[in-house]
Amino acid sequence: PPSADWKGDSDANPHFKSLGKLSAPINRKIEPYGAQFLAYARRKRHGRTFSEDDRI
Amino acid sequence: MSDDSNGVPTPGSPEQYAIGISFGNSYSSIAHISGEGKVEVIANEEGDRQIPSILSYIDGEEYHGTQAKSQLVRNSKNTVAYFRDYIGKEYKSIDPTPCHASAHPIESNGVIAFSVQDTESATANDVTVPEIAIRHLRRLKNSATDFSGKAVTAAVVAVPTDANEEQKTAITKAAANIQVEVLQYIPEPIAALLAYDSRSTEPATDKIVLVADFGGNRSDAAIIASRGGMYSILATAHDYELGGAQLDQILIDHFAKEFEKKHKSDPRKNERSLAKLKLEAEAVKKALSLSSSATFSVESLADGVDFRSTINRSRYEISAFKVFGRFTRLVEEVVKKAELDVLDVDEVILSGGTSHTPKIAKNIQAIFPESTQVLAPATTPSSLNPSELSARGAALQASLIQEFEKEDIEQSTHEMVTVTPHITKAIGYQVTGQSSDSFTVIVPPDTAVPARRTTVIDGLEGDVLIRVCDAERDIKVTKPEPTAKPEANGAKDSDDEDSDDEDDEPEETREKVWKVKQALAEFVFKGLKKGSKVEVTANVDVDIALNLSARHLSGKGGVRGEIKAAEVTENGSA
Repeated sequence: PPSADWKGDSDANPHFKSLGKLSAPINRKIEPYGAQFLAYARRKRHGRTFSEDDRI
Repeated sequence: MSDDSNGVPTPGSPEQYAIGISFGNSYSSIAHISGEGKVEVIANEEGDRQIPSILSYIDGEEYHGTQAKSQLVRNSKNTVAYFRDYIGKEYKSIDPTPCHASAHPIESNGVIAFSVQDTESATANDVTVPEIAIRHLRRLKNSATDFSGKAVTAAVVAVPTDANEEQKTAITKAAANIQVEVLQYIPEPIAALLAYDSRSTEPATDKIVLVADFGGNRSDAAIIASRGGMYSILATAHDYELGGAQLDQILIDHFAKEFEKKHKSDPRKNERSLAKLKLEAEAVKKALSLSSSATFSVESLADGVDFRSTINRSRYEISAFKVFGRFTRLVEEVVKKAELDVLDVDEVILSGGTSHTPKIAKNIQAIFPESTQVLAPATTPSSLNPSELSARGAALQASLIQEFEKEDIEQSTHEMVTVTPHITKAIGYQVTGQSSDSFTVIVPPDTAVPARRTTVIDGLEGDVLIRVCDAERDIKVTKPEPTAKPEANGAKDSDDEDSDDEDDEPEETREKVWKVKQALAEFVFKGLKKGSKVEVTANVDVDIALNLSARHLSGKGGVRGEIKAAEVTENGSA
């Protein structure tokens, strides 16, 4: 359970506290096959995000 | 074949007909998407779905597939086999061993060729490997065209993961020669995975898949991280001297010895007898994959003597014990190369003709935990035919991209698109009320970014803290308590089990656990009713910033938070 003195990042966001950062990624190659990849390539080439893509 | 006019297919035009081709050293197959939208492996005129990659010539007439294969006995010098791995290669770099029983590869004007009498004249011609490839692909194209009534204009070709650009360029050229455009090359393990993944209608899951492709003269294995239906190859391993041929050899030796005992002559010493032995041994091997005993029968095997014998599966499995072990070792090797543990592998796909062998599949299943699904006929009744996987996957990919412009395909497969950061640690959460070392994965490691995953935490109550952390996989080894004391052991029904016990003693249980590395963020929910559900969404973007949101399902409002990317993730190392 949260301790009594638990406080969020800010008053604007009282229920969330950020603590750390993700560690560095490594570069790998995705295999350009399958429907999901094609969707990914389309997003990447058009610079869209997931939610933008969802709306289309 | 009637209309070759549409050499340059117009994209999207009804004349575009793309097939999947699995082009192997031993066998090739062709597949397409049928009118009902199902993947269908096409049988040639002889009814074969696995078409031997063999061409043979008698009096200027060309034979292909099974018909050509049977010429290995009477007409071996004019029969060309096992040439796929010679395409796009230099003469000095090839291994001619598989061709000992057929036309030998020679060097002719700097290229690899076969000297065969392919015309009616009695003189042999040097037919180059590219030309052989053209003739073979033409036969495959014609079979598909005859089957569907539509001229094949394009194809996706499955190749091993280690096929280089020269080999691909050479195949593209050969295909162009018969007016077939190669839209894309697909690595065989990816094709196999695609063939399986396309069966399921559910959204793609995150899993680690090992694909082992056991062929006729070579075997390949690959580990693929499948993340949301996108595939990254983590490691590959190859054995160029392991395949069905090694198993055939065991049967050849077995029956040759039996024949020798009876008739005092070794059929392996005569070329023609050996060729007969080989063909029949392969047939016996296939029969032993399906039933528990098989009959070997060859007319006039040697010295004009007919030979007939039977073998049962267990006898064969004992003789092949060592070779079977090499298949298992290749699988273990690729797991090691990927720096993974057998516990990390969620699914094993056995592909290639040799994967029909029940014992090989069982042996491989035995090295993995029970939770790992091994997809082979002997281990999973609903598995697909291992011989058809590459062609099926290639056909699926062909149907996905056949409408695209060539340029579109090239741009999408460019490294700008395909090389992307993958997170190295798992992102997950810990929650109030669970033990401190619990960790539930939201985004698994080796996931390409951007990535978005959503998970629902169930059964929450009261004031709840959800901590999002990253974690590394660890293998926890638990040694069992030494159970039996020496004297107790002797007292019980021990004598026959004694030695077994000692072997089993150090048997330890190994399990996969997550070791939390650092906390990333915390969410707090207060006063939740019993059995509340909270949905957590993690969204990692390209620069490794993490967007988190948590939402009380059936409750009010959600919480959002963003974790900025770490300072300059300059990381060219991978």
